Amino acid sequence: MNILQQVPRNALVWIIICLFALVAPHASRLPLWILALYLVAVIWRLQVHRGYWSFPTRLAKVAMVLTGFFGIYISYGSFIGLEPTVGLLLIAFALKLMELSHRKDAYVLLFLGYFICITEFLFSQSLLVALYALVSITLVTAALVAIHRPGEQEFKVGTLCVASVMLMQAMPLMIVLFFLFPRFGPLWTVPIKSHTAKTGMSDFMKPGDVASLSQSADVAFRAKFDGDIPVKSALYWRGLVFSRIEQGAWSALGLYDLPANQRRPEEIITDGEPMRYSIIMEPTQQKWLYGLKYARSDTPGVMQTVDFLLSSFVAVEAEYMYTVTSRANVAVDEVLSKWRRKTETQLPPIGNAKTRKLALDLKAKAGSDEAFISLVLDMFGREPYVYTLRPDVLSEQDSIDEFLFQSKRGFCEHYASAFVFMMRAAGLPARVVAGYQGGEINPINKTVIVHQFDAHAWAEVWLASRGWVRVDPTAAVSPQRIEFGLEEAMESEGSFLSTALLSPLRYRSIPLLNTLRLRYDALTYQWQTWIVGFDNERQFDLLRSFFGETTAKAFAIVLLGSLAFVLLAVAISLFVGRETHPQSQLEKQYRLFSMRLARLGIIRDPGETPSLFAQRAAKALPDYAEPLCQITRLYNQLAYGDAQSSAGNAAENLQQFVRMISRFRPKTRHAKL
Amino acid sequence: MHIQSIIDSAVEEIGQSLLGKEPQIRLALCCLFARGHLLIEDLPGMGKTTLSHALAAVLGLSWKRVQFTSDLLPADILGVSVYDTNNGSFNFHPGPIFTQLLLADEINRTTPRTQSALLEAMAEGQVTVEGETRPLPQPFFVIATQNPIHQFGTYPLPESQLDRFLMRLELGYPPPRAERDMLERRHSAALEIKHSRQCIDLDQLEMIRIAVSQVQASDHLLGYLQRLVAYTRQSAEFDVGMSPRGALALLDCAKTWAAMHNRGHVVPEDVQRVLPAVAGHRLIPSGEYAGDGHALVDLLQRNVDVVGP
Repeated sequence: MNILQQVPRNALVWIIICLFALVAPHASRLPLWILALYLVAVIWRLQVHRGYWSFPTRLAKVAMVLTGFFGIYISYGSFIGLEPTVGLLLIAFALKLMELSHRKDAYVLLFLGYFICITEFLFSQSLLVALYALVSITLVTAALVAIHRPGEQEFKVGTLCVASVMLMQAMPLMIVLFFLFPRFGPLWTVPIKSHTAKTGMSDFMKPGDVASLSQSADVAFRAKFDGDIPVKSALYWRGLVFSRIEQGAWSALGLYDLPANQRRPEEIITDGEPMRYSIIMEPTQQKWLYGLKYARSDTPGVMQTVDFLLSSFVAVEAEYMYTVTSRANVAVDEVLSKWRRKTETQLPPIGNAKTRKLALDLKAKAGSDEAFISLVLDMFGREPYVYTLRPDVLSEQDSIDEFLFQSKRGFCEHYASAFVFMMRAAGLPARVVAGYQGGEINPINKTVIVHQFDAHAWAEVWLASRGWVRVDPTAAVSPQRIEFGLEEAMESEGSFLSTALLSPLRYRSIPLLNTLRLRYDALTYQWQTWIVGFDNERQFDLLRSFFGETTAKAFAIVLLGSLAFVLLAVAISLFVGRETHPQSQLEKQYRLFSMRLARLGIIRDPGETPSLFAQRAAKALPDYAEPLCQITRLYNQLAYGDAQSSAGNAAENLQQFVRMISRFRPKTRHAKL
Repeated sequence: MHIQSIIDSAVEEIGQSLLGKEPQIRLALCCLFARGHLLIEDLPGMGKTTLSHALAAVLGLSWKRVQFTSDLLPADILGVSVYDTNNGSFNFHPGPIFTQLLLADEINRTTPRTQSALLEAMAEGQVTVEGETRPLPQPFFVIATQNPIHQFGTYPLPESQLDRFLMRLELGYPPPRAERDMLERRHSAALEIKHSRQCIDLDQLEMIRIAVSQVQASDHLLGYLQRLVAYTRQSAEFDVGMSPRGALALLDCAKTWAAMHNRGHVVPEDVQRVLPAVAGHRLIPSGEYAGDGHALVDLLQRNVDVVGP
């Protein structure tokens, strides 16, 4: 094998480092056997390198590829979707290492490596992932640099410095491209069916669901208000409306469950002071979005649905930003359709008899609807109901009876569910609303961070004069929850984030850690707004703010102009840093002479002395033999001749040399080469 | 009489003994004129001894030969003091090194200890035995021969000691025509050497040396030489580049070569002619060129621009 095509020892070390660096972020999502394959591949390749084993045979390679495909199918049950395809890519990456022998294999491997860097972003686009990708790209580049240093036998960290400098030089270009390169829509799409678990609220709620969700300290979304942030107790982030109860569990109505004439969103007569804010959702793999009541969004891709809810066209698979305008006071259509009334008062035919009876009793006692509601809330406040993250397990059939009359311990969904049940039992249209309540205000950038533990369920009751009115039975049991948050509400129980030991939220009492956490969160917000959320529209806004109305032509000019500017700056900095050699007049003239001959195809090799070159040129251009000979003789005399003997007329000779060169303009059609 | 014609006759005379090796003979002469020691590296039977023998004869130098073996001791070369019972004192019996031209045959067969005794004498021009320093005769040349190191039972000279030799030559197989000539004439090298007549006497040798010292090297030429040296230090193909001593050696040889051709100044061709012999053993190739010194020097010569930037 030609020695130039081998992969140098140093490069192999870098390639293996790359390999591990690239697979590391995927490790938690991959089945164990793929990680084992990586170990096998690396050990195999190292043994080959040490000369103990040989490269896998063709048969072994085919077998391994087939095993890889089979394994993927077993692990994921499909080849379609994000995880299986990334898995296949990673398997290919590991297997390619095993047969890495030529430089061209290393190219394939490392270019694949760049691609794998990008696949990380399919799963998360957070700041940390981006920083990590930067590190991986530097490593891959270092490996590429190492391939081109055949002499290096030992592992040198200097390679990394070279790669970093190269990437640093590319950085300005990257920034320009990021802000200015046109965001095209996807030219083609494949259905990305992610196998990652759906997070956050689900469209199905049974007692205990929200309580278990509240064990998580993950961020659900971040909101930033244009004006002042409303008080915490007003922050009811609506996500889903549960109108159907079956076997003790609440579920939302799909659009197709609705009669055809009621699938359009309700008309809202807008009125009152609008409240504008933007929300950046963490990926949920679900379609619904959150907003304060009577939310409207002008973000393309966000649609209004019935029950004043917001929804995305596609499931939220990455951080997603949308803007919302909410109005606290609006006049809504005050007539409830017949179908609606029937749906929102429906109860299972049997079960929870005691609750039904209690509801009817209280209704009779109260008289009006409002009075009935306050009686029920009073009951929750007066009797020894406990708000807890550790509710008792209830039976399916008579769960509400059990909760109301026996255990009396529950989380928000228990209270909301019991409350709505009682309303419906008394004939009032009522429903459970699920979403988040409150949130943490980050004083650094004035955003509201809503965590999963802010998950909440409350009720909405239809009142003839006022439409759907929010009633939160949890507020009657535990006012702290609404005013301060879950942590304060659970202070005595000590169950707040009791399972998430590592969450920085647990250590909020340490001021330094808390400041750091909030600062990082503010940074994340900036990242998501400016980098992840930098789409077509923001790009145009940015250009418009700088250059006024932009046309496609202006856009192209700005893009190309900035690219040229950045490249020029890099080029100049390289040029300035270079050592420049003062070129003597003599050598400059001789180069001119060589250049003229080079145009005729007679090119001087660097190591060719002027005399030899002149001989060769004279052979190719017999007509010019004489001037060639004269010029070379004079050059040799000027460049190498005795300094003393020619000191006097050196200047004169140089003049003559310049004249000879300027007169020397060989032209021929038939140079013998 | 021209220097060049004297040298031409010397080359011709040696050429009678060693057929078809004119370039090597010229380089060997160049090495001696530049007051350097010569290392000839080749397989057995290629004419190493013949060349050194003929050189000594042509220059009219006293000549001794030491066959280096693994049990040779420094005293065997330098000499010993022996107690003389007649007058009750120690008499120094000089070793074979006390000669004008020493042929150190198969220098890599002996132990490093003996090698370094010889190399020390080469560097100093004198020998210290039992506390007494004795000057070596002038001029003093060493022509060492060595088998290529990948043969059994050899102690390869370390790089630092290779540097003591101004040039390293490889003789190689004779051209077919010369070989045929040799076979037809049943050419006996030993017979011919006896008949080699002296072409250069010591006065002429000194004159050549004076002529060498007057050879000029212009700025442009020194620039080229420096580029050559710098290339060996910067390029990845070289593990170890040329030392300043190597650069000086290159310049000295180029000047001698110019003088041998009746020129008062050095031209790049001079440098290129002596470069393989001077640089070959001073460069340590790295990685892909390992073991191929010729390709390396060739690369050096091809890649360094003769005309300055």
